Amino acid sequence: MEQVTTPTQHHSGRRTDRLRKLLARHAALVGMPLFLVVFLAATVAIHPDFNAFDAQSLAMAALPLAFAAAAQAVVVISGGIDLSIGSVMAVANVLAARTMEEADFGTSLLLAAAILLAGAVVGAVNGALVVVSRVPDVIVTLTTGFIWGGVALLILERPGGGAPDDFLALATGTFGTPWLSNSLILLAVSVAVIWIPVRASKTGLRLYAIGSDRVAAFRSGVAIGPSRIVAYIVGGLFSSIGGIGLTMTTGIGSPRAGVLYTLSGLAAVVIGSVSLVGGRGGVVGPVIAAFVLTLIPSDLIFLNIDPNFGQVIQGTLIVLVVMAGGLATLARTRK
Amino acid sequence: MKYLSALALALGATIAVAAPARADKQFVIGVSNTHIGNSWREEFVCSIKAEALASGLVSKIVLANREAGPSEQIADLRTLISAGVNAIIIDPSDRKALDPVIKQAAQRGIIVIAADQPVDAPDAYIVTGDQVAYARVGAAWLFKQLNGKGSIVEMRGIDGTPGDGERKKGFDEAWAKNPGIKIAATTFMDWSNEKAAQQMSALLASGKQFDGVWTSGIDYTVIEAIKAAHKPFVPLVGADNAGFIKQLIDYKKDGLIGIAVSNSPAIGAAGLVVALDLLQKKSHPHWTQVTPAAWDNTTDEGVAALKALYDPNVAPTDPVYGPIPKYGHFTAEQEKACKGPGE
Repeated sequence: MEQVTTPTQHHSGRRTDRLRKLLARHAALVGMPLFLVVFLAATVAIHPDFNAFDAQSLAMAALPLAFAAAAQAVVVISGGIDLSIGSVMAVANVLAARTMEEADFGTSLLLAAAILLAGAVVGAVNGALVVVSRVPDVIVTLTTGFIWGGVALLILERPGGGAPDDFLALATGTFGTPWLSNSLILLAVSVAVIWIPVRASKTGLRLYAIGSDRVAAFRSGVAIGPSRIVAYIVGGLFSSIGGIGLTMTTGIGSPRAGVLYTLSGLAAVVIGSVSLVGGRGGVVGPVIAAFVLTLIPSDLIFLNIDPNFGQVIQGTLIVLVVMAGGLATLARTRK
Repeated sequence: MKYLSALALALGATIAVAAPARADKQFVIGVSNTHIGNSWREEFVCSIKAEALASGLVSKIVLANREAGPSEQIADLRTLISAGVNAIIIDPSDRKALDPVIKQAAQRGIIVIAADQPVDAPDAYIVTGDQVAYARVGAAWLFKQLNGKGSIVEMRGIDGTPGDGERKKGFDEAWAKNPGIKIAATTFMDWSNEKAAQQMSALLASGKQFDGVWTSGIDYTVIEAIKAAHKPFVPLVGADNAGFIKQLIDYKKDGLIGIAVSNSPAIGAAGLVVALDLLQKKSHPHWTQVTPAAWDNTTDEGVAALKALYDPNVAPTDPVYGPIPKYGHFTAEQEKACKGPGE
């Protein structure tokens, strides 16, 4: 894993050494929440009235981006890239809004399950095309991104549709206290249910192996093609939940809604300390990074600074994180 | 990154200290726009800032301005609510998606104005230019110039957008009264200057005959295309864009006649005027529609009005505009400065 806050000074003693190794391995798990806490503290400093309403705003706004980040993270860990994530989210978004408009809560849940399945199939198609065609994944997914974008427009020509209120409440409501947004629970449960089993299994190990060194993985008997497809399937799953999340938080389907999420998701992946060359990082880092990226524009509004600076800050953060990662690697190899 | 947050902290503290003491009747106004890099929308925001300054009733404009969809606009509106604004002026990215957040704002006593485009939310006040009238005024003028006979080219905006639909309605209203008019071609130029020019060049090259052109507000490049093809001018309907106004003045001697129908971005300022009235407990209808002004170059008075309107400092494809009568009081300097109170 990339180091974000781990100290690199020399310590003596085996125990500190072990602790240091442990920290280094889980740097993102420790560092990213810290990073978020720093940003939250800054937000509270800027906006001392920060209350449950703001917490709910953050959770709702970060939801689609967090899923886009998770989707991209899985694919990047396997050594690939998926530029169709935003379009797949749009397809799920309009499918949900189109089919759920007249549905009741139970039917909506069933429809959501069907859309997740569709997302997995779309992911499988993306992955299979990459593996079979041997065309670089950047080009394949850029192209399929146009196709899925067109499909979204065919499903719903212009913004519209809807979903039952109690279904929307799965993201817009709160649980127990007004501070705990349902969208946080939805996010945590989805990531846990999908990612933990994958990560803990041999499948997960293969994803890291093919991302880290494809030749070595092949020589150790890993089936490269199927493993790559698995990464795109998991990505498709996360993307489709993100699309449904968009339906929940906006109450409508919008065929162009996903456009912004492909690149923002990639930004969250980099800030969330997933190595772009593959084989390193996790899903939790990028998900937390999505919250940081969501905080920036609202902080700028509070500060009365042109929110377009948000892009500048986002870019600066990426450069700093990549540089920090590079320096950390350099420090390790010099030892 | 810690430096960054420290910087943010410092900035926050500075602004908290530097915030001007509020006088009695001073309001904080939130503005939410989701299209950037678009001159009409920039002017929309500038007109609100200029009117805020001119009104003397606004202490601060809080601006949420980024390229975004409904999801991000909802987040921005929630931030504006949280920032404690008295009123919010929205150019909505969707008619329906903002309804819940608009309701939440209204419940907190915030006045919400949807300017430029409508929303469904019953809690919002709506201030729009009358797009049906916009198209009808120009089309009726064009058909009158042709004495109700002949064929024309209809250059529409983006298919499927509410604005284009409304304008089609107005165009058809005028067309229904002129059975002698035929439509030689209909194009969708997507409100793109380049695309409109290409389409006009293609039409001229195809040899299709037409006696007039109605455009949904893209004009300057269309006339340049006609000129480049060395074809005679035909009566043309455009908008209040600086380049078109200059063409109407300069090319009149070469036989160009046309009408500039205003779709003023000062509709943003109009939204602020309504918001300030409501904040001062003056009543307003739920939906205010502003009728467009129009200037043609067929009369001397028309040419004089166009000359008064023309501003050489505005890019040819950008609108020149002033406050909408009764719905704005800002000066040209305030509009050009594009600075709100305290900026």
